[in-house]
Amino acid sequence: MSTTPHRHEAPPANKGLLAVASVLLALPIIALLLVGTYAKDEPRLGGFPFFIWYQFLWVAITSVLTYTAYRIVLKARPHVPMTPEGDAYLDGDAATGTGTGTNTATGDDGTEGNVR
Amino acid sequence: MSALVAANEPGINGVALAVLIFFFVIVAMAGFWAARWRRPTSMESLDEWGLGGRSFGTWITWFLLGGDLYTAYTFVAVPAAMWAFGAVNGFFAVPYTIILYPIIFIFMSRLWSVSHRHGYVTPADFVEGRSGSRVLSLVVALTGFLAIMPYIALQLVGIQAVLEVVGVGGGGNWVAKDLPLFIAFLVLALYTYTSGLRAPAIIAFVKDILIYIVILVAVIYLPSKVGGWGHVFDAAEQKMTTTKNPATGNPNVFIPGPKAYWAYATLALGSAMALFMYPHSITATLSAKSRNTIRKNASILPAYSFLLGLLALLGWVAIAAGTKPIGLDGKVNSQLVIPQLFEDMFPSWFAGVAFAAIAIGALVPAAIMSIAAANTFTRNIYKAWIKPDATPKQEAQVSKITSLVVKAFALLFVLTLDKSNAINFQLLGGIWILQTFPALVFYLYTRWFHRWALLAGWAVGMVYGTVAAYNVTNQATGAPFAGSVANMPVVGQLGYIAVTAFAFNVVVAAVLTLVLRAMKAPEGKDSTVPADYFADAGDPRVEQLAVGPHETTPSA
Repeated sequence: MSTTPHRHEAPPANKGLLAVASVLLALPIIALLLVGTYAKDEPRLGGFPFFIWYQFLWVAITSVLTYTAYRIVLKARPHVPMTPEGDAYLDGDAATGTGTGTNTATGDDGTEGNVR
Repeated sequence: MSALVAANEPGINGVALAVLIFFFVIVAMAGFWAARWRRPTSMESLDEWGLGGRSFGTWITWFLLGGDLYTAYTFVAVPAAMWAFGAVNGFFAVPYTIILYPIIFIFMSRLWSVSHRHGYVTPADFVEGRSGSRVLSLVVALTGFLAIMPYIALQLVGIQAVLEVVGVGGGGNWVAKDLPLFIAFLVLALYTYTSGLRAPAIIAFVKDILIYIVILVAVIYLPSKVGGWGHVFDAAEQKMTTTKNPATGNPNVFIPGPKAYWAYATLALGSAMALFMYPHSITATLSAKSRNTIRKNASILPAYSFLLGLLALLGWVAIAAGTKPIGLDGKVNSQLVIPQLFEDMFPSWFAGVAFAAIAIGALVPAAIMSIAAANTFTRNIYKAWIKPDATPKQEAQVSKITSLVVKAFALLFVLTLDKSNAINFQLLGGIWILQTFPALVFYLYTRWFHRWALLAGWAVGMVYGTVAAYNVTNQATGAPFAGSVANMPVVGQLGYIAVTAFAFNVVVAAVLTLVLRAMKAPEGKDSTVPADYFADAGDPRVEQLAVGPHETTPSA
């Protein structure tokens, strides 16, 4: 590991995927800030004015969008572990070797009191 | 309707009170037991006492953040605003808590990573490390403290509303009136002192489960008793289109008209951007054990937004039900509308469960907020300015004591606060806290902004926001601070003052940055490197290399 090039930069990322994730995250913000598009009574749904049920609908949509964005960013910029000294990355194939989400799923992350 | 009349007669609802006390005792025991939960070798550091060992996984974080952000005060004040003023004042909470999550998804992971690497406990810790400016860090800390204090106090409004409807706390003398609140807060203070962040984390489970049960039962059962949702909305429309807000003179709102679009949108956006500037939100985030816990949570936390939306609608159900929220002093108090609705419509024992949910819902955020305020004081005032060589043990001790002081202050505060303005007070704190957004969030991405320019932008935003809020006068009484919405320059529509102040803040910061760059004003020293913003659990602390948290990384 000591031969690893000395680096402080961000781990490499797939810019295209990050852009896709950004769009997914921007959608609910834009949709809900355009109040004029949904500030109306009709059509009602089960007695609920459009204004009400449309915003409830966005709760569910946003949840799906953020989860999708989460999966995408894990792929777009996989975590690259650092050396025990913390001054460089464990480089080489580590960047592609850490699968999506392993760092949160395994739980053996070395932080204190971390008993499930 | 005879039940309504009976419920409004003074007197103590014994069954509901007994259920309420039962849950309170359970929660208090859980709070003290929490010190043994995931027990650390030593509680004597802020990482343990103040951040629960930085060890919480996805589900604990979900309960903790849900318990932290969706406060009792929200549960009381949002339906109260719906009942009294309609959708702009109340239902904006729904888009607010939806767009919140994409926003925090974007930047909170970076904050978690850099805090993990450098051992930062508060947002001001990060600002100091990144900007190299102790003064900028201090103003961020002070703003956080200032904004969170009334917020802690407002949690008591939730408990008070419940106690008042149960029939306790309206007695003539001072002791009978305030004693229950004192006892509740004393017990809270003691278990927060011993267990730290672990106490609210445990209690949040009880709180959130109770809240979900109560709200789901309420939204299924209550509308059928008052003639169905269609009738509820008709009754709300009838009330909202024929009444005005006596304080601001603005018409009440069933569905926002074109003149209210900007107000509705800016209230939602400004509140969403502000929420995670509060120290207590960041405390709960930093207690997560890995970088992506908060991102995963961004997709499951909206469950609470759904709940909040349903709860908001209960304010309109109360209109259809003809609920009369009259306090023990005989005056109409809109804050009582939800507890009163529950007492009128539910059997006593279930009303007691609902009251317990609200009261416990106040204890969780009050505990986290007092811990966050105490951490802020300890790290950014005590350690930064008074005793730079404080040991972790001393830090934890100072924090514990500060958490007691903060709660005592909150108790005093609430006994003198005009409760009918509760939601506006939170929004005033929101105006202030949003002014720390540039220093915190912009710095997570870029050091282009000069630290002095950020300081000046903050000052402009604070002054503008406070003055603009002061100038919103209550048209009925002439009192200042009557609302958080004012005319926006350039746009020419009513909008949330925090957003206008934020815009001035950013413009000033950007212009002054150009000036300071041209003058070659000295840059502060950056203790972080880009890699720090992507660190995850398992990556070592900079601290562990025998380097202080505010010093340069050995590799930089």
